[in-house]
Amino acid sequence: MSAAPGVQDTAPAPLSAEAAATLLYQEALYLDERRWDEWLALYLPQARYWVPAWKSEGEVTSDPDREISLIFYESRAGLEDRIWRLKSGLSVASSPLRRTAHTVTNVLVTDVSTPGEVEVKATWNVGVYDPRRKTSHIFFGRYAYRLKSTADGWRIAAKTIFLLNDNIPAVADVYML
Amino acid sequence: MITSNEIAGLIDDRPEDGVFRVHRRLFTDPDVFELEMKAIFEGGWVFLGLASQLPCPNDYFTTTIGRHPIAVMRAADGSINAFINSCPHKGARVCQLEQGNAKLHVCPYHSWSFDSAGRNRAIKGKAQGAYSDGFDHDSHDLRPVARFGEYRGLLFASLTADVGSLQDHLGEAGPLIDLIVDQSPDGIELVPGAVSFTFEANWKLQLENCSDQYHFSSVHPSYLRILERRTERAFEGSTQNIWDVDKVHEEVPGEPTGGTYSFDQGHVLNWRMSDVPQALPLFERNEILAQRHGTAKRDWMMHSRNLTLFPNVQFAENASSQLRIIRPISVGLTEMRTYCMAPIGESAEARRKRIRQYEDFFNPSGLATPDDTVVYESCQEGNASLGSPWLQGYGRGMCASRKGPDRFADTIDLKPSSSVAADRWLSDETVFHAYYRAWRDRVSAVADTEAARAKGVSA
Repeated sequence: MSAAPGVQDTAPAPLSAEAAATLLYQEALYLDERRWDEWLALYLPQARYWVPAWKSEGEVTSDPDREISLIFYESRAGLEDRIWRLKSGLSVASSPLRRTAHTVTNVLVTDVSTPGEVEVKATWNVGVYDPRRKTSHIFFGRYAYRLKSTADGWRIAAKTIFLLNDNIPAVADVYML
Repeated sequence: MITSNEIAGLIDDRPEDGVFRVHRRLFTDPDVFELEMKAIFEGGWVFLGLASQLPCPNDYFTTTIGRHPIAVMRAADGSINAFINSCPHKGARVCQLEQGNAKLHVCPYHSWSFDSAGRNRAIKGKAQGAYSDGFDHDSHDLRPVARFGEYRGLLFASLTADVGSLQDHLGEAGPLIDLIVDQSPDGIELVPGAVSFTFEANWKLQLENCSDQYHFSSVHPSYLRILERRTERAFEGSTQNIWDVDKVHEEVPGEPTGGTYSFDQGHVLNWRMSDVPQALPLFERNEILAQRHGTAKRDWMMHSRNLTLFPNVQFAENASSQLRIIRPISVGLTEMRTYCMAPIGESAEARRKRIRQYEDFFNPSGLATPDDTVVYESCQEGNASLGSPWLQGYGRGMCASRKGPDRFADTIDLKPSSSVAADRWLSDETVFHAYYRAWRDRVSAVADTEAARAKGVSA
């Protein structure tokens, strides 16, 4: 489709799989390096962050207003609260923080039908080490992102985290998923 | 083997001296754990779930009693019973899923099949099997639990026949269950989406913490501060602050605004008047509940209430409402199965608010529960030290506890065995005494039986 004469077509090219993967790796690195502010800046102010719960062996919850989620925030403010808590020193579950290493793989761009947006899916695992108890755990699952093009580059408009091993050993937090 | 005297000696209960102490071995000794599984979880009434989890004929759900896998089924005729979820043939679990609907349950191993009343319907190839007559001397049905009972949609069972009635077990705690069930004329339901988590600590830490008001301001300041932040920023999420810090200054020290009740069978309640009842999801029913049940009972429904029905279920109602089932796995490992419970038929907006507040506070991925469970694990590690074996966490409120009901209980004809009416700062700990007196009576009764059995085997 060509733009009308004299009008610049501002719709960007869809994000390549390689560029999408780079964004996901960047997010993972910010969490593992506890660069919280840079992590938050990847999210749009109205970003939805959602970790559904499971309602049976094979089915996650799908309606956050009628079913339980593990975490559900309708804006970045919810994530800002989480980061505030991690840094506050007022949460014994977060002091000391656990060490984490995210691995993000199988990154695919799965929908480019909306101009300026892409859907990206990926597989993840996070190794979590609790230095207080000297114990390790691996959380794993799948991600589904909706990324949006902005003047500052691509940003996260929505992220859904499917946590497959949801029998949680005491604590799960945004930096462990 | 541990004798009954030894068990009784682990609870230092001397009211005449104003002393109540619990020995750390209660939380750390595998032999004590073995006995309490037999005496408490496998030797008396335990909670299974809600009848509303089985709305239709042939619905079932699976759970555990102590170390036994259990299937709870609604039969074709509508009646409910619970069975050991283990095929009499080779022992395989017959029901594989957490919940479902089946007229016929077919064992995955050799296809023995059972109907939803637990009756054996077929033994594959029986006619060709050259069985002896003696084979049919055994029942081939699923083994039902020894006792099964229902109180207002709450399902209970006992693996031991030699127990009192369910009514005796619940005793005077019935009106506290009514406060939950009567929030809707249709009763309560579980919101879809169960959440389970484990902690590496003894199950009794969970039992205590639910009734422990003393920890709240120490363990949950991050949660409380986040609620304040949201109030300041007019957060667009939906958690409203039911803990209004400004109200602290309005309270008169010594003037009761809550308290605790203890019951003979080990059930307990701790409660507080809500600072901001308007923030409760239930508040939309404020008028209709008063019309239906009277203002006293309505007011009680609006109070924050944590009810424990000893030994394995807790109903926590504050900013939201949670049903927790405690499943001890070993002396130092516990699994929690948790559900958001809600009055059937509440508005979509109230349900949404209830769910958001639930996730914030109660989830292991939320803002409060992880701080509790991490502390339990810390206690478990610390309790390995027996150098100073007596724990001192049972003394607050000793001089405030009164026999029988108080004036608040009287308004709904509640008859606890003892009461503490408390201001915001008292944070009674005598409420735990009820747990440990029930624990001591039941575990010591089984200790001598087990010791005699062990002696008989070795002789």
